[in-house]
Amino acid sequence: MIEVEVFPHRYLKAKTTEKFLNEIYSLDTVERVIIHGQPLPKTVYFGPARGTPVNHSERKVINVHGVPVELTVMAGRFWITLRDDSEIEKIEEICKSLFPFGYDLKVGKFTRTTPTVTDYIKYGERAVNMMDRSLIGLIDPRSKFDSAVKIIPKKKEEETSSKEE
Amino acid sequence: MAYTPQFYPGKTRIAQNRRNHMNPEVQLEKLREIPDDDVVRIMGHREPGEDYKTVHPPLEEMDLPEDYVRDLVEPISGAKEGHRIRYIQFTDSMYNAPAQPYDRARTYMWRFRGVDTGTLSGRQIIEMRESNLEEIAKNFCIDTAFYDPAVCGIRGVTVHGHSLRLDENGLMFDALQRYVYDEKTGHVLYVKNQVGVPLDEPVDVGEPLPPEKLAEITTIYRKDNVPLREDTELITVVKRIHRMRTLGGYMPTDEVFKEL
Repeated sequence: MIEVEVFPHRYLKAKTTEKFLNEIYSLDTVERVIIHGQPLPKTVYFGPARGTPVNHSERKVINVHGVPVELTVMAGRFWITLRDDSEIEKIEEICKSLFPFGYDLKVGKFTRTTPTVTDYIKYGERAVNMMDRSLIGLIDPRSKFDSAVKIIPKKKEEETSSKEE
Repeated sequence: MAYTPQFYPGKTRIAQNRRNHMNPEVQLEKLREIPDDDVVRIMGHREPGEDYKTVHPPLEEMDLPEDYVRDLVEPISGAKEGHRIRYIQFTDSMYNAPAQPYDRARTYMWRFRGVDTGTLSGRQIIEMRESNLEEIAKNFCIDTAFYDPAVCGIRGVTVHGHSLRLDENGLMFDALQRYVYDEKTGHVLYVKNQVGVPLDEPVDVGEPLPPEKLAEITTIYRKDNVPLREDTELITVVKRIHRMRTLGGYMPTDEVFKEL
């Protein structure tokens, strides 16, 4: 299992993120994608306009292989977990076609694979030992699973996609 | 003591741009014409056409104790009228914004009277009597080459974004999305005022400047434009100040400058 970091040189619109995710999930070796970016608040959280809805045009529900995914961040970085390195060139091609403004692509290790103390405190020892290994390190310990993880079914196996702030 | 102000050291284009900003005799290039009322609406302190609120009666009507400083210093028009003090705050992207916080502070101090500025890493606030502030905001801060619709933001709160990558349209990230890029016209529209309250009608602040032009007029040293290390004169001055502070303390002597 290897990880690839895709770092576009611009923050992406929801439309481009949707296209990118759909193309990435069409690849065979992709197991999960973590989206990293700038949080887009629902309401103004500070100042005289506190409580006013923001209505950010890039905070919306996108469709990834039929699964509605609510984007809560403006995507600026993707960590893609791959089964092996056979399709890295395909990822590079996708990036080239979608990010004409430039991007960086790095192969490495970007998320953790072993449970931490926080996991044990949050979920309990039994739950951690029983949980799907691909969920470890997927989300921020403070975020809620339902709002941060979307499972996108594949023909044979399951894939997960996560949103993180 | 009469002397000619030098404003800023350095031999590069960036240093020259900084000097142009600070020098009150230099007229910055006028690039756009935003109506007065639109600037008032973006600032959001009063409705266009509304009277200025006052915090004290006009100075002439006030019975003030005698003070010779008052005779020496001519109050600005807003102070004479007793207008309240309001603010406007700008955020400048690191991607070749025309101005940046320290440059803004120095520029305001050199060019205007009765101004109180606050410098922070990503934003720069100006506080001033409301009527004078509106005049400066329009005629200097927005209409000239001191501002660019894409990489400068008028943001009262939630300023985060100056150090982030730009978005796909080349706009600086704004969590509150106060301004949007109109893909049909290529203009930037303010849809909210500086604190995030939606405006009745969008305010058109014009087209973003092309990247080449921004690289030309920016006051930010960047490795992909003009790097700081290229400006030997500036480096010498910075080193000199650093030595004076760290080695000289309050008594800089010739010893401190020996190796410079």
